[in-house]
Amino acid sequence: MDRTVSIASPMAFSKRLLWIAGIALGLLFVLGPVYLLVKYSISDIASINTGGKPVPVWPVHPTFDVYRYLFSDHQFYSVLGNSLFIALLTVLCSMVLGVPAAYVLGRYAIPGRRIFLLAIISVRLFPDIASVIPIVEFFIRIGAHQTYWGVILAHTLLALPYVIFIGMSAFEGVPRELEEQSRVMGANRFQSFRSILLPLAVPGLAAAAIYTFLLSWDEFIFVYFLTFGRQEMFTLTLYLNGLRYAEPQNLLAATSVCLSIPVVVFSMAVQRYMITGISAGSVK
Amino acid sequence: MASVELKSLTKRFGRHQVVDRLDLSIEDGEFVTLLGPSGCGKTTLLRMIAGLETPDGGDIIIGGRRYNFLPAQRRNLAMVFQSYALFPHMSVRRNILFGLKLKKISAALMEEKLAWVVNLLALGGLEDRLPVQISGGQRQRVALARALVLDPDVLLLDEPLSNLDAALRETAIEELKHIHNVVGKTIIYVTHNQIEAMTMSQRIALINNGRIEQYDTPKRIYDHPSTVFTAQFIGSPPMNFFDGQIVIAGKGSAIETPIGSLKMKRDRTAQIQSMAGNNVLVGIRPHNIYFVNHVAQRRHTDTIVELSIELVENMGDRSLIIGKSADGTAVRFMVNRDEEWHPGRKMSVCVDGRCIHLFDPSLRLNIFSRDDTI
Repeated sequence: MDRTVSIASPMAFSKRLLWIAGIALGLLFVLGPVYLLVKYSISDIASINTGGKPVPVWPVHPTFDVYRYLFSDHQFYSVLGNSLFIALLTVLCSMVLGVPAAYVLGRYAIPGRRIFLLAIISVRLFPDIASVIPIVEFFIRIGAHQTYWGVILAHTLLALPYVIFIGMSAFEGVPRELEEQSRVMGANRFQSFRSILLPLAVPGLAAAAIYTFLLSWDEFIFVYFLTFGRQEMFTLTLYLNGLRYAEPQNLLAATSVCLSIPVVVFSMAVQRYMITGISAGSVK
Repeated sequence: MASVELKSLTKRFGRHQVVDRLDLSIEDGEFVTLLGPSGCGKTTLLRMIAGLETPDGGDIIIGGRRYNFLPAQRRNLAMVFQSYALFPHMSVRRNILFGLKLKKISAALMEEKLAWVVNLLALGGLEDRLPVQISGGQRQRVALARALVLDPDVLLLDEPLSNLDAALRETAIEELKHIHNVVGKTIIYVTHNQIEAMTMSQRIALINNGRIEQYDTPKRIYDHPSTVFTAQFIGSPPMNFFDGQIVIAGKGSAIETPIGSLKMKRDRTAQIQSMAGNNVLVGIRPHNIYFVNHVAQRRHTDTIVELSIELVENMGDRSLIIGKSADGTAVRFMVNRDEEWHPGRKMSVCVDGRCIHLFDPSLRLNIFSRDDTI
């Protein structure tokens, strides 16, 4: 008798019910805010300012008016542009710096490798709010304060540990023999890296790149301190911050939805690589 | 094509001496097997020749040129790894052409070479498949094609058949022999499988603890093992070993062993005359001990030994019997399967006095000189 099929047994039924309840509760916690966000972003004013009556579960007259307003606002495009510009350049910088580092640290038994890895990860050992003050002070001294390259540098600093660690496991996942085989066949180190190692590490490296993009796209604390007082440099997260007390809340909700969409899409795309990347690293 | 000369080659990994002052000379066009147990240093040796490991001492001379520190990509060699190391993101065609593309030769010549090797290894129709889309045997042939197409001076093969099943391995052995006949390249073949070594190579270098135990033709290495290690390693089922003592009686000689006094071939007496009374290690291959029904079939050099059967192992065409002599010494020997043998039965067997190997127990070396063939 296969026990898993016998739903009729009371033990199995109550157990199943408990499972379903648990999952439902979890989903409620996770999806509740998302629901509220989407709901508010398409609400008409009457569904928000109800004048004391309970707020309806679904807007009385759903409308995309607030999106229309948002997409006609030139400031929104300016902050969207800033966010994209900073995020893309952060990806570029952290890949250019991180991929070769990941290759060397993942492939060669260089002396002090462990210390290097510890130093790299140490950036992430402190909460951002604790490391932001000394870093900003340092950036003021080197003239990186209130500059785009300052923000990009700060985001690269935050992303590099991830790029290096994900990249390392991506390179470690490529059998060493493939590289050796290409060497014996006449490829020098660079040719071997370019035509064998790099193409095979691409899924892992792509995951690192997307992760970096999202990290910069989402980042608030550093960009807040580094662009303080320069409204034309604001990114989406700062723009959103400015809307905190705006009434009605539908503009805030719509901006949040815009900020979240790339995060959701990319996270779903890379989660497979992230998991394999992390597990490959941990087996070593 | 080129000859390969290794002179006092040494490699250490930490404090572990993997290859120890090893000398080896391989002629142009020769098929040589590096045979040895796991961890004996044979793969490290091959990797040093390929340029994937740097020697700690000694010289690697290929085609008269010192190769010690020449990077792998500048040695005109080709290697087939145990795992085949096919590039998984490239089609069979791109795998085969990878090395040629680096040499920047004309497209026409490339196609010509591709056609030649595809034909030689029967890979027609697979050119556009990826390595995951072809079978294990086909992968092995692609790996070989990829090496041969480069027209290397020396072809290095690191256990290329160990991932194949038994039937495929037989075919692959034939194929490799055929290829060696066709292209006539110097081939260095690493394996721990003595059957592969015996069937394919012109010479076998038996390696143990980073040193060469014996470097000889397959026949000589089997017929005249120069050390106890060689005698133990080569041959399946393994050789029987007994402690013995040399006894000289007139023109004849015999070895006193726990299973009895074994007669020796007469012309050997001269060589061991001076060693009368010495202790020796006696080695007899299982197939040199045989069962004979009729007294008339026995040779005068045969010694009859009484055994009781302990174990019978069916090996297909023959059976291996492990018997015990009166004093309890185990003796392994082969019988035809025509007759049924059962544990507990007694039987008389003949030990062929022409095929007794004697080793010095402390030096672990063969007492007879190398030129004295059994």
